[in-house]
Amino acid sequence: MVGMSVLRSAAAFAARLSPLKSGNNAANLLSRAVPRADKVAVRWGHGKKMFVIKPTDFYDRRFLRLLQFYILLTGIPVAVIVTCVNVFVGEAELVETPEDYEPEYWEYYKHPITRWITRTFYDSPVKDYEKMMAAIQIEKEKADMRLTQLEVRRQMRSKGDGPWFQVETLNKELIDYSHKSNPDN
Amino acid sequence: MPTDYDKGAYPEPPRQTPVVDKQTALPNPAVILSKLFYYSVDLPVTTFRDAVDSIRSKNRPVYFHQKFRRVPDLTECQRGDYLCYYEAEMQWRRDYKVDQEIVKVVQERMRACHQREGSSYQQNCSNEIQQFTEVTHNFQSRYGDLGAYASGRKCLMKQKERMIAAQAQTA
Repeated sequence: MVGMSVLRSAAAFAARLSPLKSGNNAANLLSRAVPRADKVAVRWGHGKKMFVIKPTDFYDRRFLRLLQFYILLTGIPVAVIVTCVNVFVGEAELVETPEDYEPEYWEYYKHPITRWITRTFYDSPVKDYEKMMAAIQIEKEKADMRLTQLEVRRQMRSKGDGPWFQVETLNKELIDYSHKSNPDN
Repeated sequence: MPTDYDKGAYPEPPRQTPVVDKQTALPNPAVILSKLFYYSVDLPVTTFRDAVDSIRSKNRPVYFHQKFRRVPDLTECQRGDYLCYYEAEMQWRRDYKVDQEIVKVVQERMRACHQREGSSYQQNCSNEIQQFTEVTHNFQSRYGDLGAYASGRKCLMKQKERMIAAQAQTA
Protein backbone atom coordinates (compact mmCIF):
# COMPACT_ATOMS: atom_id res chain seq x y z
CA MET A 1 0.00 0.00 0.00
CA VAL A 2 2.78 2.36 0.82
CA GLY A 3 4.50 1.27 -2.40
CA MET A 4 1.33 2.30 -4.34
CA SER A 5 1.42 5.80 -2.99
CA VAL A 6 5.13 6.10 -3.81
CA LEU A 7 4.44 4.98 -7.36
CA ARG A 8 1.50 7.38 -7.61
CA SER A 9 3.53 10.35 -6.39
CA ALA A 10 6.32 9.36 -8.81
CA ALA A 11 3.83 9.30 -11.70
CA ALA A 12 2.47 12.71 -10.61
CA PHE A 13 6.05 14.08 -10.61
CA ALA A 14 6.59 12.64 -14.12
CA ALA A 15 3.33 14.19 -15.32
CA ARG A 16 4.34 17.55 -13.89
CA LEU A 17 7.62 17.37 -15.75
CA SER A 18 6.14 16.47 -19.14
CA PRO A 19 2.39 17.16 -19.23
CA LEU A 20 1.92 16.63 -22.95
CA LYS A 21 3.04 13.03 -23.07
CA SER A 22 0.09 10.73 -23.88
CA GLY A 23 0.22 8.50 -20.82
CA ASN A 24 0.34 11.32 -18.39
CA ASN A 25 -3.17 12.80 -18.35
CA ALA A 26 -5.28 12.99 -15.18
CA ALA A 27 -7.61 10.09 -16.00
CA ASN A 28 -4.68 7.68 -16.11
CA LEU A 29 -3.22 8.75 -12.84
CA LEU A 30 -6.28 8.80 -10.57
CA SER A 31 -4.40 11.21 -8.43
CA ARG A 32 -5.52 14.36 -6.83
CA ALA A 33 -2.99 17.03 -7.53
CA VAL A 34 -1.99 17.26 -11.20
CA PRO A 35 -1.83 20.91 -12.12
CA ARG A 36 -2.35 21.19 -15.89
CA ALA A 37 -0.63 24.43 -16.66
CA ASP A 38 -2.08 24.68 -20.16
CA LYS A 39 -5.74 24.12 -19.36
CA VAL A 40 -6.32 26.11 -16.14
CA ALA A 41 -8.26 29.39 -16.31
CA VAL A 42 -5.63 32.03 -15.84
CA ARG A 43 -7.10 35.07 -14.23
CA TRP A 44 -5.11 38.19 -14.75
CA GLY A 45 -7.37 40.60 -12.81
CA HIS A 46 -10.17 41.95 -15.09
CA GLY A 47 -9.57 40.07 -18.35
CA LYS A 48 -12.20 38.51 -20.57
CA LYS A 49 -14.11 35.77 -18.72
CA MET A 50 -13.29 32.47 -20.33
CA PHE A 51 -15.29 30.19 -18.10
CA VAL A 52 -18.47 31.80 -16.84
CA ILE A 53 -20.16 29.78 -14.16
CA LYS A 54 -23.95 30.34 -14.12
CA PRO A 55 -27.04 28.20 -13.41
CA THR A 56 -28.52 26.37 -16.37
CA ASP A 57 -30.80 28.27 -18.71
CA PHE A 58 -31.39 25.28 -20.96
CA TYR A 59 -34.91 24.67 -19.66
CA ASP A 60 -35.90 28.33 -19.86
CA ARG A 61 -34.63 28.72 -23.39
CA ARG A 62 -36.26 25.44 -24.41
CA PHE A 63 -39.57 26.62 -23.01
CA LEU A 64 -39.39 29.93 -24.87
CA ARG A 65 -38.34 28.19 -28.06
CA LEU A 66 -41.25 25.76 -27.85
CA LEU A 67 -43.67 28.58 -26.95
CA GLN A 68 -42.54 30.56 -29.97
CA PHE A 69 -42.87 27.51 -32.20
CA TYR A 70 -46.37 26.55 -31.13
CA ILE A 71 -47.66 30.10 -31.24
CA LEU A 72 -46.26 30.76 -34.70
CA LEU A 73 -47.43 27.37 -35.98
CA THR A 74 -50.99 28.70 -36.24
CA GLY A 75 -50.19 32.38 -35.83
CA ILE A 76 -48.38 32.80 -39.12
CA PRO A 77 -51.03 31.09 -41.29
CA VAL A 78 -53.76 33.11 -39.59
CA ALA A 79 -51.85 36.36 -40.14
CA VAL A 80 -51.20 35.48 -43.79
CA ILE A 81 -54.85 34.56 -44.40
CA VAL A 82 -56.18 37.72 -42.73
CA THR A 83 -53.72 39.90 -44.70
CA CYS A 84 -54.65 38.24 -47.98
CA VAL A 85 -58.37 38.63 -47.27
CA ASN A 86 -57.95 42.29 -46.39
CA VAL A 87 -55.82 43.02 -49.47
CA PHE A 88 -57.57 40.93 -52.12
CA VAL A 89 -61.17 40.89 -50.89
CA GLY A 90 -61.70 44.20 -49.18
CA GLU A 91 -64.36 45.34 -46.77
CA ALA A 92 -67.86 45.78 -48.10
CA GLU A 93 -69.34 49.07 -49.23
CA LEU A 94 -72.61 50.40 -47.87
CA VAL A 95 -75.22 50.78 -50.62
CA GLU A 96 -78.93 51.38 -50.66
CA THR A 97 -81.01 48.21 -50.80
CA PRO A 98 -82.22 47.95 -54.39
CA GLU A 99 -85.94 47.58 -54.97
CA ASP A 100 -87.50 44.09 -54.80
CA TYR A 101 -84.22 42.53 -53.67
CA GLU A 102 -84.15 40.67 -50.37
CA PRO A 103 -80.52 40.53 -49.19
CA GLU A 104 -79.28 37.30 -47.63
CA TYR A 105 -78.72 37.52 -43.91
CA TRP A 106 -74.93 37.58 -44.25
CA GLU A 107 -75.03 40.53 -46.56
CA TYR A 108 -75.71 42.82 -43.64
CA TYR A 109 -72.14 42.61 -42.33
CA LYS A 110 -69.08 44.57 -43.42
CA HIS A 111 -65.93 42.49 -43.02
CA PRO A 112 -65.60 39.49 -45.38
CA ILE A 113 -64.48 37.12 -42.61
CA THR A 114 -67.53 38.06 -40.49
CA ARG A 115 -69.71 37.44 -43.54
CA TRP A 116 -68.13 34.04 -44.06
CA ILE A 117 -68.56 33.07 -40.40
CA THR A 118 -72.24 34.06 -40.36
CA ARG A 119 -72.82 32.35 -43.67
CA THR A 120 -71.12 29.07 -42.72
CA PHE A 121 -71.73 28.57 -39.01
CA TYR A 122 -74.60 30.71 -37.78
CA ASP A 123 -78.31 30.55 -38.46
CA SER A 124 -79.98 33.64 -39.84
CA PRO A 125 -81.34 36.00 -37.16
CA VAL A 126 -84.84 35.49 -38.58
CA LYS A 127 -84.50 31.76 -37.93
CA ASP A 128 -83.22 32.40 -34.38
CA TYR A 129 -86.16 34.71 -33.76
CA GLU A 130 -88.59 32.07 -35.02
CA LYS A 131 -86.90 29.39 -32.88
CA MET A 132 -87.33 31.60 -29.81
CA MET A 133 -90.97 32.25 -30.70
CA ALA A 134 -91.54 28.50 -31.10
CA ALA A 135 -90.03 27.86 -27.66
CA ILE A 136 -92.24 30.57 -26.17
CA GLN A 137 -95.30 29.06 -27.88
CA ILE A 138 -94.54 25.61 -26.48
CA GLU A 139 -94.09 26.99 -22.97
CA LYS A 140 -97.27 29.03 -23.28
CA GLU A 141 -99.24 25.95 -24.31
CA LYS A 142 -97.77 24.00 -21.40
CA ALA A 143 -98.71 26.77 -18.97
CA ASP A 144 -102.23 27.00 -20.39
CA MET A 145 -102.70 23.27 -20.11
CA ARG A 146 -101.58 23.30 -16.50
CA LEU A 147 -104.04 26.10 -15.69
CA THR A 148 -106.92 24.30 -17.40
CA GLN A 149 -106.05 21.10 -15.58
CA LEU A 150 -106.28 22.91 -12.24
CA GLU A 151 -109.62 24.42 -13.23
CA VAL A 152 -110.99 21.04 -14.33
CA ARG A 153 -109.87 19.50 -11.04
CA ARG A 154 -111.69 22.20 -9.14
CA GLN A 155 -114.89 21.74 -11.13
CA MET A 156 -114.85 17.96 -10.96
CA ARG A 157 -114.26 17.96 -7.24
CA SER A 158 -117.02 20.42 -6.58
CA LYS A 159 -119.65 19.08 -8.98
CA GLY A 160 -118.70 15.45 -8.84
CA ASP A 161 -120.22 14.58 -12.22
CA GLY A 162 -116.93 14.04 -14.06
CA PRO A 163 -114.70 10.99 -14.42
CA TRP A 164 -112.17 12.21 -11.80
CA PHE A 165 -112.58 11.94 -8.03
CA GLN A 166 -114.99 9.01 -8.27
CA VAL A 167 -114.89 6.91 -5.11
CA GLU A 168 -115.89 3.26 -5.55
CA THR A 169 -118.97 2.48 -3.46
CA LEU A 170 -119.44 -0.86 -1.70
CA ASN A 171 -121.11 -3.79 -3.45
CA LYS A 172 -124.93 -3.32 -3.50
CA GLU A 173 -125.49 -7.06 -3.19
CA LEU A 174 -124.15 -7.04 0.31
CA ILE A 175 -127.09 -4.94 1.57
CA ASP A 176 -129.49 -6.94 3.70
CA TYR A 177 -133.05 -5.84 2.84
CA SER A 178 -134.75 -8.22 5.19
CA HIS A 179 -136.84 -6.87 8.12
CA LYS A 180 -134.89 -6.28 11.27
CA SER A 181 -135.97 -6.97 14.79
CA ASN A 182 -134.62 -3.74 16.32
CA PRO A 183 -133.42 -0.46 14.66
CA ASP A 184 -129.72 -1.08 15.23
CA ASN A 185 -129.26 -4.11 12.95
CA MET B 1 -62.30 55.30 -51.28
CA PRO B 2 -65.13 55.10 -48.76
CA THR B 3 -67.75 57.85 -48.85
CA ASP B 4 -66.74 61.10 -47.24
CA TYR B 5 -68.37 62.37 -44.07
CA ASP B 6 -71.34 64.71 -44.06
CA LYS B 7 -69.82 68.10 -44.90
CA GLY B 8 -72.93 69.95 -43.74
CA ALA B 9 -72.83 68.56 -40.21
CA TYR B 10 -69.06 68.95 -39.86
CA PRO B 11 -68.19 72.15 -41.77
CA GLU B 12 -64.54 72.75 -42.46
CA PRO B 13 -63.04 75.83 -40.85
CA PRO B 14 -62.03 78.64 -43.27
CA ARG B 15 -58.57 78.20 -44.72
CA GLN B 16 -55.93 80.40 -43.19
CA THR B 17 -53.10 79.88 -45.69
CA PRO B 18 -50.98 83.00 -45.59
CA VAL B 19 -50.05 84.81 -48.80
CA VAL B 20 -46.49 83.89 -49.82
CA ASP B 21 -44.37 87.05 -49.77
CA LYS B 22 -40.77 85.90 -50.19
CA GLN B 23 -38.28 88.66 -49.54
CA THR B 24 -35.06 86.64 -49.28
CA ALA B 25 -33.32 84.24 -51.63
CA LEU B 26 -32.79 81.70 -48.86
CA PRO B 27 -34.90 78.54 -49.10
CA ASN B 28 -37.86 78.26 -46.77
CA PRO B 29 -37.24 75.40 -44.32
CA ALA B 30 -40.97 74.80 -43.87
CA VAL B 31 -41.33 74.18 -47.61
CA ILE B 32 -38.32 71.86 -47.56
CA LEU B 33 -39.73 69.89 -44.65
CA SER B 34 -43.19 69.63 -46.18
CA LYS B 35 -41.72 68.39 -49.48
CA LEU B 36 -39.58 65.89 -47.55
CA PHE B 37 -42.64 64.61 -45.71
CA TYR B 38 -44.58 64.38 -48.96
CA TYR B 39 -41.99 62.33 -50.80
CA SER B 40 -41.03 60.08 -47.91
CA VAL B 41 -44.42 59.40 -46.33
CA ASP B 42 -47.38 60.70 -48.29
CA LEU B 43 -46.48 59.45 -51.77
CA PRO B 44 -45.59 55.85 -50.81
CA VAL B 45 -48.66 55.52 -48.62
CA THR B 46 -50.96 56.89 -51.34
CA THR B 47 -49.51 54.65 -54.03
CA PHE B 48 -49.83 51.60 -51.77
CA ARG B 49 -53.43 52.49 -51.01
CA ASP B 50 -54.24 52.96 -54.69
CA ALA B 51 -52.59 49.66 -55.57
CA VAL B 52 -54.53 47.78 -52.89
CA ASP B 53 -57.77 49.50 -53.91
CA SER B 54 -57.31 48.56 -57.53
CA ILE B 55 -56.87 44.92 -56.49
CA ARG B 56 -59.84 45.12 -54.18
CA SER B 57 -62.26 46.84 -56.52
CA LYS B 58 -62.48 43.78 -58.78
CA ASN B 59 -64.41 41.64 -56.29
CA ARG B 60 -65.88 44.06 -53.81
CA PRO B 61 -68.80 42.88 -51.70
CA VAL B 62 -71.60 45.21 -50.64
CA TYR B 63 -73.63 45.41 -47.50
CA PHE B 64 -77.00 46.93 -46.67
CA HIS B 65 -78.88 48.43 -43.78
CA GLN B 66 -81.34 46.00 -42.30
CA LYS B 67 -84.86 47.36 -42.15
CA PHE B 68 -87.19 45.87 -39.55
CA ARG B 69 -90.96 45.98 -39.80
CA ARG B 70 -92.81 47.71 -36.97
CA VAL B 71 -94.75 45.30 -34.75
CA PRO B 72 -97.47 46.08 -32.15
CA ASP B 73 -96.13 47.73 -29.04
CA LEU B 74 -96.33 46.42 -25.47
CA THR B 75 -99.40 48.58 -24.90
CA GLU B 76 -101.22 46.94 -27.81
CA CYS B 77 -100.64 43.36 -26.65
CA GLN B 78 -103.32 41.24 -25.06
CA ARG B 79 -102.70 40.02 -21.54
CA GLY B 80 -100.91 36.69 -21.54
CA ASP B 81 -99.94 36.87 -25.24
CA TYR B 82 -96.30 36.00 -24.70
CA LEU B 83 -95.43 36.02 -28.39
CA CYS B 84 -96.62 39.62 -28.67
CA TYR B 85 -94.60 40.46 -25.55
CA TYR B 86 -91.47 38.96 -27.13
CA GLU B 87 -91.86 40.85 -30.40
CA ALA B 88 -92.50 44.12 -28.57
CA GLU B 89 -89.50 43.52 -26.33
CA MET B 90 -87.20 42.91 -29.35
CA GLN B 91 -88.50 46.04 -31.04
CA TRP B 92 -87.90 48.06 -27.86
CA ARG B 93 -84.32 46.74 -27.68
CA ARG B 94 -83.64 47.75 -31.28
CA ASP B 95 -85.05 51.21 -30.60
CA TYR B 96 -82.88 51.50 -27.47
CA LYS B 97 -79.77 50.74 -29.51
CA VAL B 98 -80.78 53.26 -32.18
CA ASP B 99 -81.33 55.92 -29.53
CA GLN B 100 -77.91 55.26 -28.03
CA GLU B 101 -76.33 55.74 -31.44
CA ILE B 102 -78.29 58.96 -31.98
CA VAL B 103 -76.91 60.35 -28.71
CA LYS B 104 -73.41 59.36 -29.77
CA VAL B 105 -73.75 61.13 -33.14
CA VAL B 106 -75.05 64.33 -31.55
CA GLN B 107 -72.26 64.23 -28.98
CA GLU B 108 -69.69 63.73 -31.76
CA ARG B 109 -71.03 66.80 -33.57
CA MET B 110 -70.75 68.91 -30.45
CA ARG B 111 -67.19 67.76 -29.84
CA ALA B 112 -66.20 68.47 -33.45
CA CYS B 113 -67.66 71.95 -33.11
CA HIS B 114 -65.74 72.47 -29.85
CA GLN B 115 -62.54 71.39 -31.57
CA ARG B 116 -63.14 73.69 -34.53
CA GLU B 117 -64.01 76.81 -32.59
CA GLY B 118 -61.28 76.53 -29.97
CA SER B 119 -61.73 78.89 -27.04
CA SER B 120 -64.84 80.64 -28.36
CA TYR B 121 -66.92 77.44 -28.55
CA GLN B 122 -69.60 78.44 -26.08
CA GLN B 123 -70.68 81.28 -28.32
CA ASN B 124 -70.27 79.81 -31.77
CA CYS B 125 -71.61 76.30 -31.29
CA SER B 126 -74.72 77.21 -29.32
CA ASN B 127 -76.89 75.22 -31.79
CA GLU B 128 -74.94 72.04 -31.30
CA ILE B 129 -74.79 72.51 -27.55
CA GLN B 130 -78.50 73.12 -27.31
CA GLN B 131 -79.27 70.08 -29.47
CA PHE B 132 -76.98 67.95 -27.33
CA THR B 133 -78.53 69.05 -24.02
CA GLU B 134 -82.02 68.46 -25.40
CA VAL B 135 -81.18 65.01 -26.73
CA THR B 136 -79.43 63.92 -23.54
CA HIS B 137 -82.27 65.19 -21.32
CA ASN B 138 -84.78 63.26 -23.38
CA PHE B 139 -82.64 60.13 -23.32
CA GLN B 140 -82.19 60.42 -19.57
CA SER B 141 -85.89 60.88 -18.93
CA ARG B 142 -86.82 57.94 -21.13
CA TYR B 143 -84.06 55.37 -20.55
CA GLY B 144 -82.27 56.98 -17.62
CA ASP B 145 -81.99 54.71 -14.58
CA LEU B 146 -83.32 51.50 -16.04
CA GLY B 147 -80.00 49.73 -15.43
CA ALA B 148 -78.41 46.72 -17.09
CA TYR B 149 -81.57 44.55 -17.02
CA ALA B 150 -83.63 47.18 -18.78
CA SER B 151 -86.70 45.94 -20.59
CA GLY B 152 -89.69 47.32 -22.41
CA ARG B 153 -91.93 46.74 -19.40
CA LYS B 154 -89.65 48.70 -17.05
CA CYS B 155 -89.45 51.53 -19.56
CA LEU B 156 -93.26 51.55 -19.80
CA MET B 157 -93.56 51.68 -16.01
CA LYS B 158 -91.09 54.56 -15.96
CA GLN B 159 -93.20 56.38 -18.54
CA LYS B 160 -96.27 55.78 -16.38
CA GLU B 161 -94.47 57.31 -13.38
CA ARG B 162 -93.48 60.31 -15.51
CA MET B 163 -97.07 60.82 -16.64
CA ILE B 164 -98.36 60.54 -13.06
CA ALA B 165 -95.77 63.06 -11.89
CA ALA B 166 -96.65 65.44 -14.73
CA GLN B 167 -100.34 65.14 -13.91
CA ALA B 168 -99.69 65.71 -10.20
CA GLN B 169 -97.71 68.77 -11.08
CA THR B 170 -100.33 70.33 -13.35
CA ALA B 171 -103.18 69.48 -10.94
